[in-house]
Amino acid sequence: MDSYLSVLYNTFMKDERYMLIVNGLMFTLSVTILAAVIGIILGVVLSLMTISDFRPFKHTKSKKLAFLRDFNPLNKLALFYVTVIRGTPTVVQLLILFNLVFTGILEAPVFVVAVIGFGLNSAAYVAEIIRAGIQGLDKGQMEAARALGMSYGQSMRVIIIPQAVKKIMPALVSEFIVLFKETSVVGMIGGNDLTKAAKEIAANSFRAAEPWLLAALIYLLLTTLFTYFMRKVEKRLKESD
Amino acid sequence: MIKVKNLHKYFGELYVLKGIDLEVKQGDVIAIIGPSGSGKSTMLHCINRLEEPSDGHIYIDNEDIMAPDCDINAIRQKVGMVFQHFNLFPHKTVLENITLAPSLVKKVSKDEAEKTAYELLEKVGLSDKALSYPNKLSGGQKQRIAIARALAMKPEVILFDEPTSALDPEMIKEVLDVMKELAKEGMTMLIVTHEMGFAKNVANRLIFMDNGKVVEDTEPNEFFNSPKSERAKEFLDKVLNK
Repeated sequence: MDSYLSVLYNTFMKDERYMLIVNGLMFTLSVTILAAVIGIILGVVLSLMTISDFRPFKHTKSKKLAFLRDFNPLNKLALFYVTVIRGTPTVVQLLILFNLVFTGILEAPVFVVAVIGFGLNSAAYVAEIIRAGIQGLDKGQMEAARALGMSYGQSMRVIIIPQAVKKIMPALVSEFIVLFKETSVVGMIGGNDLTKAAKEIAANSFRAAEPWLLAALIYLLLTTLFTYFMRKVEKRLKESD
Repeated sequence: MIKVKNLHKYFGELYVLKGIDLEVKQGDVIAIIGPSGSGKSTMLHCINRLEEPSDGHIYIDNEDIMAPDCDINAIRQKVGMVFQHFNLFPHKTVLENITLAPSLVKKVSKDEAEKTAYELLEKVGLSDKALSYPNKLSGGQKQRIAIARALAMKPEVILFDEPTSALDPEMIKEVLDVMKELAKEGMTMLIVTHEMGFAKNVANRLIFMDNGKVVEDTEPNEFFNSPKSERAKEFLDKVLNK
């Protein structure tokens, strides 16, 4: 038993290797949180674009342009974005961002690339969650608000969004958990996250099991914690229903 | 007050309204009846442009509401609407449901809006429900609140879209009583309904629609006693002999 403790000590304490884990976790968490912020903001914009009724050629009288009457450029653009992001692997998106966009065109540290990359990625999923939440609301809510003379913006702000937020909260937390786990691929572009830390400790200490299991345990603990909070929030939202 | 001229409505390929002409005078209480799918609700939704008319003209107080520069939100303040499924805002209390639009749209002060709301709650007999949430109310109570909510904007006319169709039979009367009271006070009302008794006793005009057209526009008694069109006779046969 003593010998195993010394193995553990050698694996994690020698050369202050545990600091790799601590710093890696900080990297993982900061990327996740900042990317989630970008994801939410951009996701809201994208979802509003998708459900907008912006048809600039609605009133065209020309027969030739009749096919443009229902053309909604905002909706099409958002749809294109969501399709591309959801249709390609996150790692590939990161590599493209890191090797093409942020090399030669712009220069940025890995951390910034990771935040932007995961933010842009998450936005597509958040957009779909919000769109589904809004479109899943009873159409009568918007009708009633508009019938009372409220503008589209007022109706969205006071009637639709508050109800939608309640509905989509659980799905958003799920997306946050997915994002948190997905950041583990950031090592591919040289990010020193929790997974990368485990890899490095494994390489330096010649122990495979402990570093990887510890990383898994930390991921599991945190996702369990997020899920626990999600259930709490969900319960509170249900009560006010 | 409301003038509908040659109103057409398509839903894609579906031709729903085939040239509706209608004139509503102040104080009119018009029951709109007809088989389902005849376009009654669609016509009502076109009058405040919740549905975009495909062709034709609608004037409210002589203002063309289909003109590109028409401020439809201002028009809708004059045209209240009550829906089949109530459409109360579930995340707001009864009081907030009623005061929301007046304070947000008309910029009425909070005190003023609440005072009006309590008067209206008194009128529909639900003063004690002011602080409840809609999910704690019965269907009949919800619809009475919905009527109070429409009244809070002090509209010139109220459109009722099958206001009692989603209610348990026992609750229909409490809603109809409120509507009867409104009619007595001189409110202009357009009511899509299947309540023949109400149409006969409360309305001063009856419009029978079928297949996207107004088939008869007459006095309720005359309609029920001596309908002119074959289609109306057939319809009455079915609904009265059930």
